[in-house]
Amino acid sequence: MRPRRTSKFLIEPAAVATGDIAFNLIVFFLVCASSEPDSGRRQDLPSSEKTKQEQKTDNIEISLTRTRNVVTVNGDPVRFEELEGRLRRLLTGKRRPEDRVVVVRSKPDTPYEHWIEVTALVQDLGASITIQREEERTVNVGP
Amino acid sequence: MKLKRRPMKADVPSTAMGDIAFNLLIFFVILARATDDSHLQWNPAKAKQLEGVKSSRCSVLIDRNNKLYLNGREIGQSQLSQAIDDLLGQAPAGQRTVLLKVHKEATAMYYEPVIEAIAQAGGEMVHILDEKR
Repeated sequence: MRPRRTSKFLIEPAAVATGDIAFNLIVFFLVCASSEPDSGRRQDLPSSEKTKQEQKTDNIEISLTRTRNVVTVNGDPVRFEELEGRLRRLLTGKRRPEDRVVVVRSKPDTPYEHWIEVTALVQDLGASITIQREEERTVNVGP
Repeated sequence: MKLKRRPMKADVPSTAMGDIAFNLLIFFVILARATDDSHLQWNPAKAKQLEGVKSSRCSVLIDRNNKLYLNGREIGQSQLSQAIDDLLGQAPAGQRTVLLKVHKEATAMYYEPVIEAIAQAGGEMVHILDEKR
């Protein structure tokens, strides 16, 4: 009978290759990191001349403050949970783009996360946004 | 008796090649980081129905200290509109995307003038946000 041949040699990876392995790992993680896509919400900004024509005196006006829970719509305080329903009612029957402009006024201490939440809601309802700043300059944000 | 001198072999050790490549890579990574804004600290706000952004001309960021950056470089509010206008140049519609990255706790005092500047420069603004679950 022939004895079975077993190898008991210690096999180690070549130390020369360590650098190359590290290099390839770094390239891999770099590619992974750079390919991570950004995601966000688009807000088209129509020219100010166009918006001046579109802006009317009877536009819906939303006022934002630091407090998230309460938003003022046309001067009436509305709870945030009820804002969508209120806006939907106010926009009902308004079909022309110039009628669907919502003026957003923010107190200087209004946090961005609150602002984006409200403006996203307005956009989702198909309205366009006009930002009215404290010093009465307006910026228009389309749907 | 005169002994013959043995010629010396002067090769670059191949072991060092990996290390050289590694150091070159780190060098270029640091160089690249100087022009993007990935080193800046900010937390995005959350929203629903987000879309992917494929390419952008420039990126405007307000960090957690309310400092303003254009493509990773600090800039003043008054210079922003002109700087964006220069970057956008004569790019046609659809290729004028400006990424807006605002720290979620930044206040209107800081982000509203920035939105205004992007609008003035004719940028197509995309708010960079996290998906709300």
